[in-house]
Amino acid sequence: MGRFLWRVLALAVAGVMLAGPTLTGAQERGITPTEVVLGSSMPLSGPAAYWGAVGKGIDAYVKYVNDQGGIHGRKLRFVLRDDSYLPPRAVANVRELVERAGVFAIVGLIGTANAFAVRDYIVQNRVIWITPTADSSIWAGFRQKRYLFVTYPSYVHEGAILTRYAAEKLGVKNVAVFYQNDLYGQKGLLGVKRAVAALKGAVKLVSAVPYELVVTDLSSHALKLRESGADAVILYATPRHGALIVREMAKIGYRPRLLASFTLTDPIMFTLAGEAWDDVYLTAFFPLPGTDPKVDETLQILFRYDPTLRANPFNSVAGVAFLEPFLEGLRRAGRDLTTDRFISAMETIRNWDGQVIRGVTFGPDRRQGINRIYIVRAEKGRYTKLTDWIEYPVEF
Amino acid sequence: MAALALQYALNGLATGSLYVLVALGIVILYRTSRILNFAHGDVATFGTFVAFTLITRLGVAPPLAYLVTLGVTGFLGAGFYYFILRRAKEATLLGQIVITLGFALVLNGIVVVLWGADTKVFPSLLSETKVYHLGTIVISQLSLGSLLVGFLLMALLYVLVQSTKVGLAMRAVSQNPLAAQTLGIPTRRVLALSWGVASALGVSAGILLAPVTLLDPFMMLDPFLKGFAAAVLGGMDSPPGAVVGGLALGVVESLFGGFVSVAFKATLAFAIIVLVLTIRPEGLFGREYKKRV
Repeated sequence: MGRFLWRVLALAVAGVMLAGPTLTGAQERGITPTEVVLGSSMPLSGPAAYWGAVGKGIDAYVKYVNDQGGIHGRKLRFVLRDDSYLPPRAVANVRELVERAGVFAIVGLIGTANAFAVRDYIVQNRVIWITPTADSSIWAGFRQKRYLFVTYPSYVHEGAILTRYAAEKLGVKNVAVFYQNDLYGQKGLLGVKRAVAALKGAVKLVSAVPYELVVTDLSSHALKLRESGADAVILYATPRHGALIVREMAKIGYRPRLLASFTLTDPIMFTLAGEAWDDVYLTAFFPLPGTDPKVDETLQILFRYDPTLRANPFNSVAGVAFLEPFLEGLRRAGRDLTTDRFISAMETIRNWDGQVIRGVTFGPDRRQGINRIYIVRAEKGRYTKLTDWIEYPVEF
Repeated sequence: MAALALQYALNGLATGSLYVLVALGIVILYRTSRILNFAHGDVATFGTFVAFTLITRLGVAPPLAYLVTLGVTGFLGAGFYYFILRRAKEATLLGQIVITLGFALVLNGIVVVLWGADTKVFPSLLSETKVYHLGTIVISQLSLGSLLVGFLLMALLYVLVQSTKVGLAMRAVSQNPLAAQTLGIPTRRVLALSWGVASALGVSAGILLAPVTLLDPFMMLDPFLKGFAAAVLGGMDSPPGAVVGGLALGVVESLFGGFVSVAFKATLAFAIIVLVLTIRPEGLFGREYKKRV
């Protein structure tokens, strides 16, 4: 008798599970009449936890959008998972987000290696993917990009632009690169190498010094850079390692010109590196906090929803820059939201300005939302804009 | 060239002295309880954050803050042994080691929740940018200071272990816990004390490191692994071995980074672990490895 009951129960459960998808068949994953679910996987612990503020920034802004009434009557729900910057955990997280949490879209996802690890899964499962924070040149030539929309710069082009600027405007003859020994740093280095080759002898790459993310003793790295005799050092590092290396260089009396990736435009650099962070040339892909009223206003909103973000303004506002095009797509897609309608709506975005990100363009064949950066100088705790937008080719 | 090598060696010595402090903590615990304490780095990180809060938020004078921190962290380590590890009576040695791993994760989580994951500047009494020149060789005031404090702490530990009654009890417990207990030595309290001393050593390494490497919840990850490598190199149950191992590791690593490959500098410590375990498993100064019966 007991066994019979069990069978009935099992059948009933199976029936419900089978009927589930058909009952809601009209609905797509992650969309209900009242809700849109989005998710992300980011380092909230581990040595890269600092970048988790991107996720917290997104979370705070989502709350703000919801308090404004959501979009077309739907509230957003943001599901954030911690991957400690480890690709295997990113894979597990994304599977969970898609299969259990049932997200409509993934926003962000930090780390070039992590993005690589989940790329095929996301593509195969037709999940909308907005701006993985990974070197955007990895998408060049990538065919299955229907569900992908990216407003993140390319480290390769950035490295080349920085090198060209150093050679042409700052009169640098010998350049060295201090880089993180993973795809992030390597792509930057690649850009520097390309520019050095293109400039035909005007500037030489005299040394490339890598570091590992967990290492904190950079004394030999600094000595190596000094011994190379470079008159400029380009940094592809985390804020912490960027600060450590310039301090170590200052300590041994080596003061080359400093240029750095936009990842180091975080104002925390002025605190971490102190006086050593002066007269540094950086790039930016959106107006930096403190230089633009709309960006500052957005920051104030974020701080209101999550005061802990005050420690990390650049990353949290970058989170908004990644999220914004998605929100615009939702607005344009209208009340009857489906994946296809959303994609069509995204493809109508032309030279669009958000609160933070500016000049975003997508199209039926275009998924690279931005293809321009500009150069700033960090000086005594402030940024000065030095150039207009510098464009690079659209590649995907 | 020679001056450059000397500069690398000096940098290595300054880093190595901090590896020593970490390694000593690991060795003390291994000697007394045969436990490899995976929470060593996180206990130190927790303590360093306590010092950070005392100095920057509560305005406590740094010397006093250091002392309070040593005490707090010592109690944290001792408390972990007394209230958690000791209660796991049924656990095998491996099980106990896994408990320390769990404790490490818990502590790390607490640090992230309480203080956040962003990087912080840890104030120091000594300047990092003020440097002393010796010909072409430079050493910052801070590095010199940590080197000296490191050696001072090593000396203090030596005195504690070799010339005090408590130290004698510690040595007795590490040699034969059962016999020590029979002779009336309060083994549990001695063990708790060892955990306290080891944790205090760890946090002093943290306090000396933080101004240089900046403070974040994962700052002790690398120093812990290096300290572990140093302990293996010197012999897991030999404090003098930890001192030699730590200094040697610091210097060799720095020279290797300077003249061979800076990309593989971080890997060198692990290559050394493998090499030592293959050729001389007891380490440079360890007693010949015998299975305890």
